[in-house]
Amino acid sequence: MVALDGEVSDSTKAELFAKEHPERFFECYIAEQQMVAAAVGLAARGFTPYASSFAAFLTRAHDFLRMAAVSGADLNLVGSHAGVSIGQDGPSQMGLEDLALFRALHDSTVLYPCDANQTSRLVATLAERPGIGYLRTTRAATPVLYGPDESFPVGGSKVVRSSDADRVALVAAGVTVHEALAAAEQLTTIGIACRVIDLYSVKPVDTATLQEAAEQTGCLITVEDHRPEGGLGDAVLEAFADGRPVPRFVRLAVRHMPGSATPGEQLRSAGIDAAAIAAAVRLLVEHAVVP
Amino acid sequence: MPQPSDAELARIAQQLRVDSIRMTAAAGSGHPTSSMSAAELMAVLLTRHLRHDLARPEHPGNDRFILSKGHASPLLYAAYKALGLVEDDELRTFRMLGSRLEGHPTPRTLPWVEVATGSLGQGLPVGVGMALAGKRLERSGFRVWVLCGDSELAEGSVWEAAEHAGHEQLDNLIAIVDVNRLGQRGPTRHGHDLAAYARRLKAFGWHTVECDGHDVHAVDQAFAEARSTLGRPTAVLARTLKGKGVADVEDREGLHGKPLKHPEEAIEELGGVSDLRIEIQQPPAARMLHAVRSGHLELPR
Repeated sequence: MVALDGEVSDSTKAELFAKEHPERFFECYIAEQQMVAAAVGLAARGFTPYASSFAAFLTRAHDFLRMAAVSGADLNLVGSHAGVSIGQDGPSQMGLEDLALFRALHDSTVLYPCDANQTSRLVATLAERPGIGYLRTTRAATPVLYGPDESFPVGGSKVVRSSDADRVALVAAGVTVHEALAAAEQLTTIGIACRVIDLYSVKPVDTATLQEAAEQTGCLITVEDHRPEGGLGDAVLEAFADGRPVPRFVRLAVRHMPGSATPGEQLRSAGIDAAAIAAAVRLLVEHAVVP
Repeated sequence: MPQPSDAELARIAQQLRVDSIRMTAAAGSGHPTSSMSAAELMAVLLTRHLRHDLARPEHPGNDRFILSKGHASPLLYAAYKALGLVEDDELRTFRMLGSRLEGHPTPRTLPWVEVATGSLGQGLPVGVGMALAGKRLERSGFRVWVLCGDSELAEGSVWEAAEHAGHEQLDNLIAIVDVNRLGQRGPTRHGHDLAAYARRLKAFGWHTVECDGHDVHAVDQAFAEARSTLGRPTAVLARTLKGKGVADVEDREGLHGKPLKHPEEAIEELGGVSDLRIEIQQPPAARMLHAVRSGHLELPR
């Protein structure tokens, strides 16, 4: 196992690996194409590379990733500082297209954890996975939802909250899992039960759990800190692209061009925070179409 | 098999050209002229400098070769024929459905191809990763040879790689630049100005050698100098002509990626079809050095 950094290891914490294993750490400086290319070369020699930078800047190396897929290379990428939730640094630093980019690669795996234990498990899982693996991480510290012994198989999901009375399923990943849980909590006070699904495996996607949620609740709301095209919402829709009736479906995603603001303000103005999710649920359940 | 003489190498280079023309003529597409410019470079590299056990592509002591100018795949496949890896009949399947001989080489079908190429400006960057593995992790002494086109040196990624390799002092990395002066649409930015490339590479800490890429002796000397250079990567800047050897297409614009109009005459001009064989030298026995550590990961509760 080797790690490559694009001169942001203090932010991504790849520096922790560098400290423990300096001989297997490769500093590539601010040259993301070269970092990915070097990872492909190391993979060709039989090593298992993890190359990390900000999710936003990995998009620069897309042609190298595309060619790595042609080579059938086994390599792992970690994109940090994903989404508007990074806050004040503004849109130039926000990875908002990365899920679409990595999902589109042939035979890729795309994972998006929401807490520390899930992240550590999924990082390890990627090592055994053939092809191009991508793990998307969040800048801010998020609450720990899962115990250290929990397992997170690729292609799975976690139903974090559910009951027989659920009237809608909230499908989230990463930072929006915590917003969805907060929204579900708020909605119990007005008698609306919500299921919350942590869709940490964005590709492949847990079709069975999504179909079951659709059958039982009739309505899915996806919430993602990403552009609406090619991300979590599209991944969920694929579970219903087999000819079966499509559930009522609402997707919350980043549709505007963000500026500088606090992480909380960013989530609010993008319409993907707990309040926006709760409002979307109420609109559906109280005013629209859910029986 | 004894090492071929310079005269024999020149004939092998002609065979690589002939087979490149035959393959692209049969396919009705492909890049014969881009293959013809690098024929001597390939012939000299394979017979006298690259060390590789073809029966064991995974041998840790094997030198690695990347055809960064992946569109010159006919040259690569012609070399495979000369090495006995591919039958002459199979050359006719070039670019056809189900053939191992794809338009641009990929490791999916051919075990001797290290990485897929064809998107220009990627071979050298990936070669840096392989050279880093050899130098810092495997320590088995293999070299990474990357055959680049001159036109692809306009890609910024090539210069990211040049700086990375220079900074890491990768003397196990050798870039061969086939400076044939012509890109797809016309002349390159620097034409045959080898010094323009040398200045840039030297600024990144590279050693450079300039040579006539059609003179097998000069190419041999240049590769030997590259192999004996310590502490720096080396670039062999070879002055070549696109479509070399066939008057109808040599050094002419507008012929990139086009089969020759008169392949039979061209083959005649190059000395006809032949079936010369070459051998690659075996790698030295490799000694593997492993650093193994173990530890326990404490997860937050």
